[in-house]
Amino acid sequence: MSADGTAVRLSGTWFGEALSAHARERLATIAEAHRVEPGAVLVREGAESDRLGILVDGLLSLRVTVAGRGRATLMTIEPGDVFGWSAVVPPYRSTSTVVALQPSEVIVFDAERLRSLLREDDALAATVYPRILGCVSRRLVATRTQLLDLYARDREYEPW
Amino acid sequence: MVTAGGPVFLPRERLDALLDLLHEGGRTIVGPTVRDGNLVLDELTGVDDLPVGWRDEQSPGRFRLVPTGGSRVFDVVNGQMSPKQFVFPPKQPVGTMQRDADRAVRFAATPPDPPRLALLGVRACELAALAIQDRVLAGGTFVDEDYRARRESALVVAAQCTRASSGCFCASMGTGPEVRSGHDLALTELDEGFVVTAGSPAGERLVARLPGRPATPAEVAQAAADVAAVRAAQGEPVVIEGLRDRLMDQLDSPRWQEVADRCLACANCTMVCPTCFCTSTAISSDLDGTVNVAERQWDSCFNAGFAKVAGGNFRPERSDRYRQWLTHKFATWVDQFGMYGCVGCARCITWCPVGIDVREELAAIAPPTVPAEQMPARPAAATPGRFEVVTLRGSHHETPDTTTLHLVPSEPALLAGLPGQFVMVEQPGFPSLPISVSRFGPDELILTVRAAGPATAALVAEGPGAQVGLRGPLGRPWPVERALGRDLVIVAGGIGLAPLRPVLDAVMANRDRFGEVVLAYGARTPSDRLFTDEHAAWQAAGIELGQIVDRAEPGWDGRVGVVTHLLDRRDFSRRPTIGMVCGPERMMQATVAVLRERGVAPERVFVSMERHMQCGIGLCGHCQMGPYFVCRDGPVFSVGELGELFGKEGV
Amino acid sequence: MATPRVGVVKMASCDGCQLTLLDLEDELLALGERFELVEFPEATSRRSDGPYDVLLVEGSISTPEQAEQIVELRARAKLLVTIGACATAGGIQALRNWGDEPAWRAAVYPDAELIESLAHATPIHEYVKVDAELRGCPIDPGQLLELLTALRVGRRPQLPDEAVCLECKRLGRVCVLVAGGAPCLGPLTQTGCGALCPGYARACYACFGPREQANVASLGRWLEAERSGPGVDRLFAGFTGWAPPFRERAGRAMSGFGTAGAEASVPADGSDGVDDER
Repeated sequence: MSADGTAVRLSGTWFGEALSAHARERLATIAEAHRVEPGAVLVREGAESDRLGILVDGLLSLRVTVAGRGRATLMTIEPGDVFGWSAVVPPYRSTSTVVALQPSEVIVFDAERLRSLLREDDALAATVYPRILGCVSRRLVATRTQLLDLYARDREYEPW
Repeated sequence: MVTAGGPVFLPRERLDALLDLLHEGGRTIVGPTVRDGNLVLDELTGVDDLPVGWRDEQSPGRFRLVPTGGSRVFDVVNGQMSPKQFVFPPKQPVGTMQRDADRAVRFAATPPDPPRLALLGVRACELAALAIQDRVLAGGTFVDEDYRARRESALVVAAQCTRASSGCFCASMGTGPEVRSGHDLALTELDEGFVVTAGSPAGERLVARLPGRPATPAEVAQAAADVAAVRAAQGEPVVIEGLRDRLMDQLDSPRWQEVADRCLACANCTMVCPTCFCTSTAISSDLDGTVNVAERQWDSCFNAGFAKVAGGNFRPERSDRYRQWLTHKFATWVDQFGMYGCVGCARCITWCPVGIDVREELAAIAPPTVPAEQMPARPAAATPGRFEVVTLRGSHHETPDTTTLHLVPSEPALLAGLPGQFVMVEQPGFPSLPISVSRFGPDELILTVRAAGPATAALVAEGPGAQVGLRGPLGRPWPVERALGRDLVIVAGGIGLAPLRPVLDAVMANRDRFGEVVLAYGARTPSDRLFTDEHAAWQAAGIELGQIVDRAEPGWDGRVGVVTHLLDRRDFSRRPTIGMVCGPERMMQATVAVLRERGVAPERVFVSMERHMQCGIGLCGHCQMGPYFVCRDGPVFSVGELGELFGKEGV
Repeated sequence: MATPRVGVVKMASCDGCQLTLLDLEDELLALGERFELVEFPEATSRRSDGPYDVLLVEGSISTPEQAEQIVELRARAKLLVTIGACATAGGIQALRNWGDEPAWRAAVYPDAELIESLAHATPIHEYVKVDAELRGCPIDPGQLLELLTALRVGRRPQLPDEAVCLECKRLGRVCVLVAGGAPCLGPLTQTGCGALCPGYARACYACFGPREQANVASLGRWLEAERSGPGVDRLFAGFTGWAPPFRERAGRAMSGFGTAGAEASVPADGSDGVDDER
């Protein structure tokens, strides 16, 4: 996909629509678009985080491995959302494994190129970091809600 | 005051004649009397039983009887009791519920059997309180029959106040000191006797038979002057103008906590208040639970169990409860009944063990300013509230802790309900259960119940052929008609899908009359999803189904996360869209916020609220949420009409 | 339904609460048909070490032996219900918790080392999980009957956590505090007794223990304004003084208690009756 085409695709995503046109163009210069099949592993837990990605279409699953329990799916990622944000947060190590559940279209940015771009271009950094922070915050709020286990049967139930 | 022949003067030494007349027909006279050094309301056999030569001294937290050395009978303004003690007794049997050996269920309501009373010495504030209780308990769709019978059979003989107690503020509340209506007779005491006027045809007949003579203009003027002096003595400690709005603007005031530090949450204020009406039902069972007598008793919003539901308490803190009481009495009562709930009798001030004074608190929390906008009208839901017997045809588990019951009613009217309505399920020996109807079938009522406590556990443990009692359908339904010709987004969390299923039934029955219909369903785990065998049918009918779980199970390749994720990419702003949301309150709040961002205005989003319900028909007071009775004004509300109440803690 | 196996045991107590079960004279036969009393030393020589469907436990934990015993009993009971002020709050014997227990033991018994006693007498729930409580000194027969009936029916027992005040008002009793000046603790106390003491124009002394939301600070301040200081603390040092909401005030009344040579802070007049003005 051409850089222009990528910029356009970016602007259609939740992540990209809040960025300035300048930011989208600059990001598009280091972006790569891919199509992946179900089962494709995009990020591996524990590995050095080498890419930040945006899901344009399809469905991805975020998993972790728990000793003794095997793999647990924590959440699924919807189109427009970001994965692999560890690429811009030290120690740049992936916190989970991301696997495609459906045929998906993603835009990915190489981690080192992205970090260096953000260091050089203050204007770009000023719009990208808040957006990534917003994504992480959204995920944190969702995780807290999942933790609250709102649908669970109440604990107060007494035996009689 | 209506008196054909004008006011009559009854000499003091002939007061006994009035009592004789009141005794006629086997009436019991109830009035003030001194017993064991205390002022109570009790049966009076003769004039000597009246508190002759006594006066009250009241101040916050303190009541004393002081001898005057005189011969006046009505110098004690009021005591701990009010006429409420007799027209709305503290404990009153409601009915008996039995389960026979053949598992049939029978309910026998206790028929009203009121004593014939003559209430003597009723003050203007107490008359106003009776009028308020008439409106609350007998003026709506559902009537407390026992109260009505007692009121209709009672004669009311008022006594106009000729002295004010230190706490009185009837003048501020517009309820006195003049006696204007609601009485059969009114007496104003002078040194030599009583100026008597009639307030009803029955009163006129009584006046005609009294051994009195026409009152002189001087006597009439003296009586009026004495009453006017009472008004002047009070001043205006409470400014009623705009009080409702001023108070509701202060729900976050720090003063609530300050009062709460002093308040004992002991419920005394609500017990002595002549208009407080909240009750609960106590069940008295024989050892086998086959015969159960239900008794209605005075309860209070200050009690621990009042606002408790499975999973928590809606008003855990004293500050929540004090705020509930004060805002109900002086604000939301106006929305509910068109009048203030307080009559200014000051009992709550005197009988508070630590002397909290509502006049001071109102002045501190809501000092005077400006008038109000009208609240939007609520559609009435006219539904039957009679007890009916239903038989369980069968049941099956939807999920490990949720069961669907198929109930066959003997009364077909039970099936004529609307989506979102609920029924009160009655089992002998158990408190009443509010359960949403998950489907109105052609010949059966279907309930989906989660076993959350002993009563629901007992219900789901019943086998085919078992009988239970049912009252309903009750409550305000989902406004399905608002979605005709529009797009509809339905968001359900957990068991919240049950009260929404009838909406899906309505959509499927007339699919072409609705636009795009989306169901976003969040559940705890894939195994906790309800009605999975119907999902395909919904989709086949053109309902877009999105599902998401909090936690995945092995083999689940669907979405994992919170239900609002299903709405993130949507744009509802292009066409008018209606939203219907049901689930845990926190989930509903998050959903409403996302829907608003996605273009659905709050007036078009409807939620189903949950509160502690006991009677289900707006009479026991437990389910109040601000000005609303959730059982009667809800459980469905628009987010627009709830305004700030939605999501407010401790309301 | 299978007949529930019921056990009744005691720790440090006077037996008055157990007696309440026997005092249910009119219902005793019916109870006997519906419950199997497998262990109830006060009433029968029949013994059982469990298992119990319901175990009623009276008394506080006052000795090391009792501390072990209650843990064993808990393991053998499906439902454990504490009955009475001793079991739910520590009882009158908990007043020793502020004293110098070893010193007393030495002063009272010639061979003090033969007496094994814990420094503190405490309620059962400080040792094991408790499924339900019947408060009171002694417990109320009506509440006991409701508990047993609820067990049969399968519902939660109706044991309201509200102030004694509601019962007084429902019964039409005029408030002894407001109208009589008596130092009544009813507003802080959990109901259940039918407002017995106010029915005799006496102040409630909280034998059912503190209720939820007991605002000791506020009523304490009010009573102090009406009466002199030390008298108010003494009001809390009663049958349920060890219960946390009452403990601080009770402790002030008990300070120096039992210490040789110290003056008691308990006032000599011991007044707690009705207002002298009347």
